Amino acid sequence: MNWTLNLVLLTFLVGTAFAMIMLKDLLAAAVVFSAYSLIMAIMWSQLRAPDLALTEAAVGAGVTTVLFVITIFRTVRKENR
Amino acid sequence: MKKLFVILALAALGVVLLWVVGKMPEMGDSRTPDKTHVVPRYIEDGVKEAGAENLITDVILNYRGYDTMGEVAVIFSALCAVIALLDREKRGVSRSAVDASQVRSSRIVRVTVRILFPVIFLFAVYLILHGENSAGGGFQGGAVIGASIIVFTLVFTLIESTRDIPLTLRVILESLSVLTFLAVGFIGVFKGVEFLTYILPGLSPGVAGALRSQVFMMSIEIAIGVAVGAIFTSIVFAMIKEENFELEPHIPEP
Repeated sequence: MNWTLNLVLLTFLVGTAFAMIMLKDLLAAAVVFSAYSLIMAIMWSQLRAPDLALTEAAVGAGVTTVLFVITIFRTVRKENR
Repeated sequence: MKKLFVILALAALGVVLLWVVGKMPEMGDSRTPDKTHVVPRYIEDGVKEAGAENLITDVILNYRGYDTMGEVAVIFSALCAVIALLDREKRGVSRSAVDASQVRSSRIVRVTVRILFPVIFLFAVYLILHGENSAGGGFQGGAVIGASIIVFTLVFTLIESTRDIPLTLRVILESLSVLTFLAVGFIGVFKGVEFLTYILPGLSPGVAGALRSQVFMMSIEIAIGVAVGAIFTSIVFAMIKEENFELEPHIPEP
């Protein structure tokens, strides 16, 4: 099928996943997690699961990111080492 | 040493996962899950038995109605936990953590949200009402409703307006989904069939798209949408309330 698009998406998916682990700035990690969810939503629609894609986009990319950001602002921004 | 152990463990896990992927049947093979077990019945008889054209809605609300009721209860308990931790006192009185006149969100953001908000909200209502026939449904629509209200709140600090919504109404909206599920379930029980049977005796089953075979699923769908939207909004409102909020990010002493 559309394997070039899938290849690009999967590459970005792995990239964002690694960036999320490596980042020490939690706010940046939350934003990267939002991007990860957005790519995942496109992947779901590519896999013909539009219901899951809608959930992922609304909950993963939207509400969860807001909750993370609020939590970060109420606690600490940097990860302890 | 520890690092080496972690790398070895991850490599072993990767090998196992790849091995399992290699064992999986090819796409379109007759051994794939969509051609075995219970799925063929869903595909062939789902519309007739459950009443909605979208098979996913059939499975979620009808065949797996208990699971969905449990999930709805889980979301509700999450809200209860947040309120118990953060919002114990004066739940009805919520004032914004930020003075609305002091907000400095950029004009581009404000104009974008103002234009997009009605469109997003309309899309959410469409998702809820058309979950029977196309992709979407109560949970997705409710999540989009919640997200749209949250975005509006973050940009315009609209949290003061929650004072205008009576606490009783908010509680009713939040608990609507569980209550509707129970009500629909017990209607069946009182009519002499099993809990959560949507097609009651006396009603002819199985006309896809006919209102009478969908009316229970429809009411549950709308209830889930409203409740999920209200719960998501309430969680975020509880988290950004003034008395729980320190504007300066809290930095612990080293």
